[in-house]
Amino acid sequence: MDQILTVLTVGILLGGIYGLVSIGLNLIFGVVRIVNFAQGELVMFGMYGTYFAYTHLHIHPYLSVFIVAPLVGLLGMVIQRLVIQPLTSEPNMQIFATFGLLMFFQNTMLAVSRGEAYSVGSMAGTGVLELGDLKLSSVRLVTLGAATLITIGLHLFLSRTMAGRAIRAVTQDKRAARAMGINVERTFLITFGIGAALAGMAGALLTPIYSITPAVGGNFILAAFAVVVLGGLGSVWGAYIGGLIVGIVEAFAGFYIDPVLRSAVWFIIFLIVLIVRPAGLLGQAGAEEVGFREQH
Amino acid sequence: MNSTNKPPREAVKAGAHDVIPSARSAWGKYAAGMALALLPFALLFDDPHWVNIIAVTYLMGGLAAAWNIIGGFGGQFSLGHGVFFGIGAYTTASLFIRFGWSPWLTMVPIAALAAGVAMLISWPTFRLRGPFFAIATLAFNEVAFVLANHMESLTGGPRGLMIPFKAGIANMIFSQRWQYAILMFCFVALVIGVSVWLRRSRLGYYLLAVREDEDAARAAGIDVLGTKLRGMALSAGLTSIGGTLFAMYLRYIDPPTIFTLSDIGVKFALLSLIGGIGTVAGPLLGAALIIPFENWLRAEFANSLPGVSLAILGLLMVLAALFMKRGIVGAIESLFKRLQGSKSKDRP
Repeated sequence: MDQILTVLTVGILLGGIYGLVSIGLNLIFGVVRIVNFAQGELVMFGMYGTYFAYTHLHIHPYLSVFIVAPLVGLLGMVIQRLVIQPLTSEPNMQIFATFGLLMFFQNTMLAVSRGEAYSVGSMAGTGVLELGDLKLSSVRLVTLGAATLITIGLHLFLSRTMAGRAIRAVTQDKRAARAMGINVERTFLITFGIGAALAGMAGALLTPIYSITPAVGGNFILAAFAVVVLGGLGSVWGAYIGGLIVGIVEAFAGFYIDPVLRSAVWFIIFLIVLIVRPAGLLGQAGAEEVGFREQH
Repeated sequence: MNSTNKPPREAVKAGAHDVIPSARSAWGKYAAGMALALLPFALLFDDPHWVNIIAVTYLMGGLAAAWNIIGGFGGQFSLGHGVFFGIGAYTTASLFIRFGWSPWLTMVPIAALAAGVAMLISWPTFRLRGPFFAIATLAFNEVAFVLANHMESLTGGPRGLMIPFKAGIANMIFSQRWQYAILMFCFVALVIGVSVWLRRSRLGYYLLAVREDEDAARAAGIDVLGTKLRGMALSAGLTSIGGTLFAMYLRYIDPPTIFTLSDIGVKFALLSLIGGIGTVAGPLLGAALIIPFENWLRAEFANSLPGVSLAILGLLMVLAALFMKRGIVGAIESLFKRLQGSKSKDRP
C-alpha cells in the first residue's frame, strides 16, 4: 500500500512537470490549432535563459521567470509573424516548417554550447518535504503548484476576459470573428506569443530539475502533444488532467513493468485515445475538426 | 463552406495541357531520367569518396520516393516511416546473423511483413486527418524506438547489431563501394519505376483524388480507406526494402541510427519536399541536392561546429515550406510556363 502511494506521488509530481510544459502547447495547438513542433525548443530557450540569468546576473531561477518568459514570448511572436502567419491554413506545411525550426534551434544551440550540459546545480534542488513516510521534492512541488495556478489563470483568461473570448472566437470562425470587430491577425500573434511565453516560463521553472542540453526539448514535445490531445482539445483542464495521467502511468509502468518501457506505455494509451476519441477525454466530440475546416 | 467547388490550382494546371501521358512518353521519360541519374556515377566511378555519396544518394532518393507514394500522391503525411525502415533493417540483419539467410531471399518476405504491419497500424490511424495523423505516426515511431531498445534478444538493444563481413554477392556484402552504388541504383530505379506506373494507374488516380478532397472522393464512389491502405502498404514495403539495403550497406544498426527522426523518418519527407511532393522525379532530385550538400557540410564543420549541418537543413526545411511548397520540380515547371507565356506574348 505504501509502495503504491509512493509511486502515485511520484507520478503526480511528474504529471505536474508534463502539465507545465504542455500549457503553452495547450493554448497554441489545443485552442488555436497551430501545429508547433518547435514548442520543446522554446522550453529549452527558457532553460538556457534562466541559466545565463543565474550565472551572469545572479538571479534566482524562479525570479528569472519574469525576464525569460517575456523574451521567449517575443521570440514566439517573431516566429508567428515570419513562419506561422504565412502558413495559417496549411497544417501540413506547418508541420514541415516547425519541425525545421526544431532542427534549426536544437542544432544551433548544439553548435553554440558545443554539446556541453549546463546545470544550475543544487541551489534550489535539494529541499525535501517529509509527510510521514512520503518524501516530496520541493522543486517538484513548486512545479505542480505552478502548473495548477497557470491552468486556473489560463482557464479564467479564456472564459472570462474579452481577449480570451476573442481567441476562441477566431479559432471557431475567422470570418464571423472579423465581422464582430476582432483583429484576427493580431489575435493569432498575441496567442502564439502567450503560448511561447508559457513555454519559456516552464523552462525557467524546470531548470532546477533538468540538466540543460540542446536536445532537452525532445523530452517534452511528444509528451506535450500527447498531454494536449489526451486530455481534450480546447479544454484547459483536460490538458492538466492529461498531464497527470501521463505522469501517473509513466510512474506505475516504470515501477511495475520496466523503466525502459515507461514512455511506450503512455504512448500506446495516447494512440488508443487518439484513435477512439480524437477530441480527447474531456474535449467536445468533433473538437479535433475545429480550426482545420476550410475557412475563408 | 462550399469552397470545395473550386478545383485545386494544381489540378487545373495539370489538366490544361496533359490529359493522361501515354505509356510510351511516360516510360521514355523514365528511361531518360534514369540514364541521367546514372551519369554522375559513370563520371566519378574512380573516386571512392564520391561513389559512397552517390550510393547513399540513390538509397535516400529511393526511400524518399517510397514515402512520396503515400505522403505525396496520397497526401497522408506519415512521419513514422522509420518503423517500416526499421522492420526491413532489423529483420534482415537478425536473420542473416542468426541463420545466415541471404538478404536476397528474405528481402521480399520482409517487405510483405512491413506492408502487413503498415496496414495493421494504419487501419485505425487513417481515420485521423491532417496533423493528427502526423502526430500519431510520430508516436508509432517513438514506440518502435523504445521497443528496439527493450527487446535485446531480437535487436541487440542499445548495443545494436553488427553484421559480420562475409563478402560475396550471395550475402549482399561487397568489398567494393561501386558495387553498392549499383545495388542502390537498382533500388531507386525500382521505386521510381513503381511511381511512374502508379501515377498512371487506377490506384494512383484514386490516391490523388483522396489527397485533393476525401469527401468528394468518397462521394465519387472511391473506397477511401482501402485506397489509403493499399498506398501505405506499397510505400511501407518499398521502405522496408530500403531498410534491408541500408543494413547490409552499413553492417551496423542500432536504435538511434534507425529511428532518429531528423535522419530517417522526417528526412524522407524533407527530401520529397525539397524536390517536389507528389511528383515522380521530385524525391530523387531532392536527394541529389541535399545528400551531397549535407555530406559537404558535415565534412566542413563536424569538428569546428557540431550540429551546423542539421541546423542548415532545418533552415532549408523552413524556407522550402514557406517559399517552395512545390519543390524543385514545381519551380522548374513554373519557370517553363513563364518562358512559354512570354513567347506567346511576343507573337504578333
